[in-house]
Amino acid sequence: MDITDNLAAVRRKKLSRRAFNRTLLSAGVGMVATPLIGTRQVVAQETEQGTIFTWGGYDVGELYTSYEAANGALPNFAIFGGTEEALTKMRGGFTPDIAHPCNAGLKRWVDTGMFQPIDTSRLSNWGDVIPELVAMDGNDAGDGQPWLAPFDWGGTSITYRTDLFELEEEESWDMLWDKRYAGQLGSLASGGDAWWCGAIKAGVPFGEIATDEAFEKISAAMREQRPLIRVYTDDTTTLEQALSSGEMAAAMTWNSSAVALASEGIPVRFARPKEGALTWVCGLMVHKDAPNLDKAYEIIDSLLSVEAGKFMINDYGYGHSNAKSFDQFDAQTLVGLGLSKDPGDILSAGHFMIPQSQEWETRMNETFEMIKAGF
Amino acid sequence: MTAAPARHIRARGGLHGALHRSKAFRGYALLSPALVVLFVGVVVPFLILLMMSFWTRQGFDFDTTMTTLNYARAVDEPIFGTFLLRSFWVSGIATVATVLLCYPMAYYVAFHVHRNKMLWIILITLPFWTSYLLRVFAWRVILGYEGVINASLLSMGFIEKPLAFLLYSQTAVIITLAHAWAAFAILPLYVSLEKIDRSLLEAAADLGDGPVRRFLRVTLPLSLPGVIAATFLIFIPTTGDYITPALLGGPDGAMIGNLIQLQFGAVNNWPMGAALSIILTLWIAAIALVFVFLTRRAERVVA
Repeated sequence: MDITDNLAAVRRKKLSRRAFNRTLLSAGVGMVATPLIGTRQVVAQETEQGTIFTWGGYDVGELYTSYEAANGALPNFAIFGGTEEALTKMRGGFTPDIAHPCNAGLKRWVDTGMFQPIDTSRLSNWGDVIPELVAMDGNDAGDGQPWLAPFDWGGTSITYRTDLFELEEEESWDMLWDKRYAGQLGSLASGGDAWWCGAIKAGVPFGEIATDEAFEKISAAMREQRPLIRVYTDDTTTLEQALSSGEMAAAMTWNSSAVALASEGIPVRFARPKEGALTWVCGLMVHKDAPNLDKAYEIIDSLLSVEAGKFMINDYGYGHSNAKSFDQFDAQTLVGLGLSKDPGDILSAGHFMIPQSQEWETRMNETFEMIKAGF
Repeated sequence: MTAAPARHIRARGGLHGALHRSKAFRGYALLSPALVVLFVGVVVPFLILLMMSFWTRQGFDFDTTMTTLNYARAVDEPIFGTFLLRSFWVSGIATVATVLLCYPMAYYVAFHVHRNKMLWIILITLPFWTSYLLRVFAWRVILGYEGVINASLLSMGFIEKPLAFLLYSQTAVIITLAHAWAAFAILPLYVSLEKIDRSLLEAAADLGDGPVRRFLRVTLPLSLPGVIAATFLIFIPTTGDYITPALLGGPDGAMIGNLIQLQFGAVNNWPMGAALSIILTLWIAAIALVFVFLTRRAERVVA
């Protein structure tokens, strides 16, 4: 094929109409084809490592030390901010090796039929995993194999400024309903946290959370709280910055926000409400069509390791599923983080989320979104 | 022996001939890459959306029997109407504010800058070289509790406590939209002002019009096409804007775009989301038509 210098032809005013049309055509074909060329390269790169589909904040090297040592690189990360978002993306055809659901959504994740039971004999750290965490509702996939390998657990409670928030009595969920601090309170936006906390505040036992009466009671509590809330957000950084600047006096957060703020010298406490905090457990599930099954088990094993546990407890203030991780800390430090040498203490003191059906989840989200919008 | 070449010529005559003879055919052939993109990227998704809006949700799947249930819900339940109204209100104010603020800028560049006009235009659009998201985040820094405005007002002693209404409110959304879309107003306004024949202004002055009357009777009517273009360019996309109210709106600043996003996200009711999108599209089309009609009338009255 002749290569003609079209630019020079233009300058000399000798570009024929035919040559011009040909150039236009090739530019068009090139533009249409560019995305195809681009994606193929990206896909080729990503398949070299295992892919974990997880919450923000878990994409840090410290959690994958043994994986990185074995493979020379970190796994690929895909991040989600809520269960619906994650399930929607996976139903759309996204196939990671590992996903990171939490106990309240366990049943829904399993029901999608997109996961395979975990072969625990392939995990070197399985023997140290706290049994209470494995034995949660709906986790039995038969043959003694679980659907989900528990990894992290923690609480949802109130982080408040000890210098700005004047406690009336003891720490309680009433703090987030305190009219004295209207416009200075914050909340997580996801019903997966907020609705359950509302249930604790409204005095609804978790076993009855699916009844119509429970919906009425919790809705009433959430409606009462709504005018007091400055912002509902799923972005923990927003809540942390607001607490640190004094824009908010108290907010519903996870352990990690309180730990992060305290490490910056801001006077905060992660409350232990008298009604009990909300406790959650999250873990790892293997996709049934995982493209890199061996790498998937390496990722899980590295997350269950003591090194990962040490980082989780120390830097994020979350509990870890490996009992040995807690031996790295003295009792004083653990209490300061709201944890304990005997994780069973914390788990039994808090309200443990109970897996719910898709119908419940949809109804809850619809109701809560309406309330947040002011209806 | 003679038949083969003849057929060959006729075959060439078919496609090639058509390409050379018919101007329309050639035009469409040249347009074909764009038409394919338009068809695959706009027409097909729109048809899917329209189709889906008549379905209903069933668990994680769709019930594909055609029904107008979603549209009935959108009319019956007050939440949808309220959000739609709020979106039109917020983006209407933002549009008016943008056009009013950008008109003087465009006017200045068109009439009072004589050298390096291109440089001025580039400088004006400079903030728009960063991403939309970054500009929205920048406004969070400016309007925030410890933000630029509150900090300077505090240090000058005008206020004792930071102004909380600046962020997480409809005000914040309006301010941000008005800034974020300014480039889309300045450019059409500039072009229409630049095109105005200067001798008309001289004629108006010669016939005794002062600067104000000259502006109102000559410059403004002649720049109306630019004003209309700018209004459309801003009003249409900002009504459905999602990210600005999500980041700056707070509980009371959410708009219809956020509600649609929720249907495709947490609420997980895609057919309802599709119906809301169609309703929004129809409303915007209706408002645009009314606006065009009114400006036509106005132009006729002025002329």
